[in-house]
Amino acid sequence: MAARSDGRLGKWLVIGPPLAYLLVFFAAPALIMALASFRTPGEFGGLSPLLENGKIDLNLDSYARFFTDSIYAQIFLKSVWYALLTTLFCLLLAYPLATLIAKSGKRHRDLLLLLVILPFWSNFLIRVYAWMIILGPNAALARMVNGVLAWVGHEPVPLLFSSFAVLICLVYVHLPFMVLPLYANLEKHDQALLDAAQDLGANAWQRFWRITFPLSLPGVYAGAALVFIPALGIFAIPDILGGPEDSLIGNVIKQQFLETRDWPFGSVLSIVLTVAALAIAGFAAWVARGSLGTPSSAGEARA
Amino acid sequence: MKRFVSLLALAVIALTANAKDQLHLYNWNNYIAPETVKRFEEQCKCEVVQTYYSDNEELLAKLAAGAKGYDVLVPTSNAVQALIKGGQLKPIDKSQLPNLKNIDPAYLNTPFDPDNKYSVPYAMSLTVIGYNDQKIKELGLPTDTWAVVFDPKYVEKIKGRVTVLDSSSELFAAALKHLGYSSTDVEEAHWKQAVDLIKKAKPFWAAFNASSYIKELTVGNIWLVHGYSNDIFQANLDAQAAGRPFHILHGLPKEGAVLAVDNMVIHKDAPRPDLAHKFMNFMLEGRNSAELTNLIGSGNPNKEAIKYIKPEILKNLAIFPDKAMTSKLEQLKDMTPAQRRLRNRMWTEIKAGR
Repeated sequence: MAARSDGRLGKWLVIGPPLAYLLVFFAAPALIMALASFRTPGEFGGLSPLLENGKIDLNLDSYARFFTDSIYAQIFLKSVWYALLTTLFCLLLAYPLATLIAKSGKRHRDLLLLLVILPFWSNFLIRVYAWMIILGPNAALARMVNGVLAWVGHEPVPLLFSSFAVLICLVYVHLPFMVLPLYANLEKHDQALLDAAQDLGANAWQRFWRITFPLSLPGVYAGAALVFIPALGIFAIPDILGGPEDSLIGNVIKQQFLETRDWPFGSVLSIVLTVAALAIAGFAAWVARGSLGTPSSAGEARA
Repeated sequence: MKRFVSLLALAVIALTANAKDQLHLYNWNNYIAPETVKRFEEQCKCEVVQTYYSDNEELLAKLAAGAKGYDVLVPTSNAVQALIKGGQLKPIDKSQLPNLKNIDPAYLNTPFDPDNKYSVPYAMSLTVIGYNDQKIKELGLPTDTWAVVFDPKYVEKIKGRVTVLDSSSELFAAALKHLGYSSTDVEEAHWKQAVDLIKKAKPFWAAFNASSYIKELTVGNIWLVHGYSNDIFQANLDAQAAGRPFHILHGLPKEGAVLAVDNMVIHKDAPRPDLAHKFMNFMLEGRNSAELTNLIGSGNPNKEAIKYIKPEILKNLAIFPDKAMTSKLEQLKDMTPAQRRLRNRMWTEIKAGR
């Protein structure tokens, strides 16, 4: 009996601190934000008093504003589109890279992993600013691109301050978040399965598509979630590299808290963003569970 | 263990020895000359701890969220108005500011803070046109009108080489001026005209930009900007230092422009109001005030500062506007929440729509 309560105490000691951390720094702010979304912006900024003339001031004005004005939904869809493209490009670039790292020898593997993580050693904003220089109109890249365009008779295009700049930087910043979970997954694959498939006459493409890829799906989903969700809410990259058309939902939310001093509407937009991210993560988890049958049955077959 | 304890004791001694008197200054980045800070520290035998903000909105948001520990802040007049309304400021004691007499009376007792109960002017800037003299002369474009930013017949010639400020209040102010209204006009119909004007000109602009346009002007990527006079001054200094073949000059729009006066105020929870007053009086001294103008090319409301300011800066009409220009300058006003919402709706439409 004593041992059992000891075990329970130990369990609480282990999960208590992270649980408390999440409650204080995630749940509480989320609740404050939810409450703020029903309130009225203050005269000076912030929120107007909750109790005014003995009446509690809670209303749906900010929600009504979001749902009656299609412009916010448009920006939302645009942000989802950018985040989807980012996830897709990250996947296409990260898959071969993660495979290469998983297949290389121990010594090279550590070095390659280090190189993937290396960009984190310098500040995010500095890396984004570096793209301003790389994409600038007088830089080698823009001259080369416009040289080729001139050759085929097309007028020069600006690379900096464009959707292209925003996307390329979104992919650049999020790539490691796709490589790492994919690598962690691919590294554990059992070579015997591929050998067996080869013995049974499967060609390289069949071995990839019917064995490696299904087995790697958990890594793909983890990477996709890690890329898609932060890419959906980002504001710094469009602010710095975007042109006049590249305002995303993160920028609109930032404006509510800074320029417009409209906390309730900013809260509504943030809540919609959170709900959208949760819904997408939930959907991905649901799809993943459905298709995980393949790898686990493969595992059973192996056993 | 013993060693650890003695180390700890040493650390405590070091910390207490360091606990000098401190003034917490929350200011714009690069908005006080380092030698001025040094001299003040020597004079007050205290330490100036600086933190920075990049726009008034950042300052307002931080204080609205309950930030504390600042003594002196340097907000623009319309933000002073918002801070007063929000009860964020401590009234100043003018008996401790004998140097207040140095300020040009034209900048005192304004509608933003009648009788200067809370604020004293620090420095100012104009929102004007900045341009690459070589490129703009080659193309024969005018630089004395907002039309060069908004009218397609001009701006199409510099497509992709123009940036405008990423600030709805500044851009609307310029657009309203171009349309012949006051930059503080709050008529919805006039705002709609401004939206149309901006949307028609937007395809020719490279970006809405409030931070990196100085660098882009300096390296020659951008040829014309809607920007702040001291940023344009900075861009020219940088271009000359880098030996570029062009200058970055100020263009004063004949329709008028926004004047931003930044003011020193004391936060309501200031830990050291005594040092805050000392600092304000110190900055009102002509020589100290002039150092900022000489460093960054900001305008100066201090009459006693004029004799210390470099003659080439005094001659610049975008920094020290003449009477004719001064009469066409307007300061932005703080808006009501409903006006801010409407403005933001229009701004979102501008930035999202095609």
